[in-house]
Amino acid sequence: MKRILVTLVLLASVAGCDVGENLGASAPKKERPTVNVPAALRQSNWRGPEGQGSCVHASMISLLRWQYRLKTADHWRQTYGDGEQPEDLAAKFDQEGIRYAYVTNGDVRFLEWACRTRRGCGITVMGGAHMVALVHLDDKWAAILDNNSVEKFIWVPRETLIAEWKASYGWAVTPIYAPAAPLPQ
Amino acid sequence: MNKLLLSVLCLLAVFVAAMPCLADTVNGVLAEERVVNLPQDQSKWYVSVVGNATDSRYNEIVGWFDTNASLKKLKDQVQFCPVTSDTAIYQARYAGNVKALPTVRMQKADGTVVYEAAGKYLPMTAAGLNGALAGAVSTAQGIRPILPWRRDMERRCPGPCPNPQPNPQPQPDPAPQPIDDGGTPNVDPDVQAEPPLWALTLVCVVGVLGGMTAGYGRKLYDKLNPPVK
Repeated sequence: MKRILVTLVLLASVAGCDVGENLGASAPKKERPTVNVPAALRQSNWRGPEGQGSCVHASMISLLRWQYRLKTADHWRQTYGDGEQPEDLAAKFDQEGIRYAYVTNGDVRFLEWACRTRRGCGITVMGGAHMVALVHLDDKWAAILDNNSVEKFIWVPRETLIAEWKASYGWAVTPIYAPAAPLPQ
Repeated sequence: MNKLLLSVLCLLAVFVAAMPCLADTVNGVLAEERVVNLPQDQSKWYVSVVGNATDSRYNEIVGWFDTNASLKKLKDQVQFCPVTSDTAIYQARYAGNVKALPTVRMQKADGTVVYEAAGKYLPMTAAGLNGALAGAVSTAQGIRPILPWRRDMERRCPGPCPNPQPNPQPQPDPAPQPIDDGGTPNVDPDVQAEPPLWALTLVCVVGVLGGMTAGYGRKLYDKLNPPVK
């Protein structure tokens, strides 16, 4: 009889632990990737008037839409295209009155800031021949949205991504507006 | 010789004055290789106003954030997201989790909802909405995130969702907000209407005079009408 009682007490205490855990304040589930651009907002790459790819513009358009600059994004899609250089893109942003920030020195802090503030940024890859949107960066992993294949995010180890970016002139650029609100928790 | 020296000095002065312009800012962010003043606004809260672009009630509520001083101040402290139901971002991130339109939702930076009201449950006035948001902010520190068993309830138990009519007219982009770091918003609490000081004084004086008059009148009455013994 004593054994049964002890067993019951132990079971009750274990059950109690479980209930307590459920009532406790568990941390909100973090959205991954941080910049979770919906499929309908992702801009695919296209050939510009000179026949070049428009990966820089496509990345900027996806980020503008994520930051709810829908009309600006449409205008950008209709106005600009082809390959792009950092200074020329900056001049276009200035001309259009768009708030932005960029680096060309491979400063990782910029990438961390862009993902920490949920804005994301365009980053160069493939030796500087291509730009994709960086949509997540944590201690271990990075995620990119490639405008040549916008169906899904591509996850790569953080250090792999950073090494690739630094070997590609280290250009990163993003518009600066309010990002989409997080999913409700 | 003096003129030459003067000219050189003038040129130097012009050069020194022009130097800062080379590092001019574009809306608070240096458009150069070395980027400074990036907003560290990852702790900012979010206020979403969601509705149909053609709905007058939705437009009225969005307008409150420009016309009501307290809500305007709040708008500048948060990531303000006016979202219309004809957009892809609404379909992807709001359609499945709003109860009705229009909806006003305030969230912490991690997504925790601290205030949400929709449809007929929305406050009727800007002051009412400000008061509700202020109350939500003040009680938010003790709020707990949604319990695990309640997560994805909408998906598991689908109920009636708002079914807005798409509006093909493109909406203008919202006005950009100030760039700053920010954090928990500071919402002005409701100001209770208090009677002015002169009115209180007047009430007191009238009361004293009334009392004195009543007392004197009673004495006079007793004097004129002595009790029959």
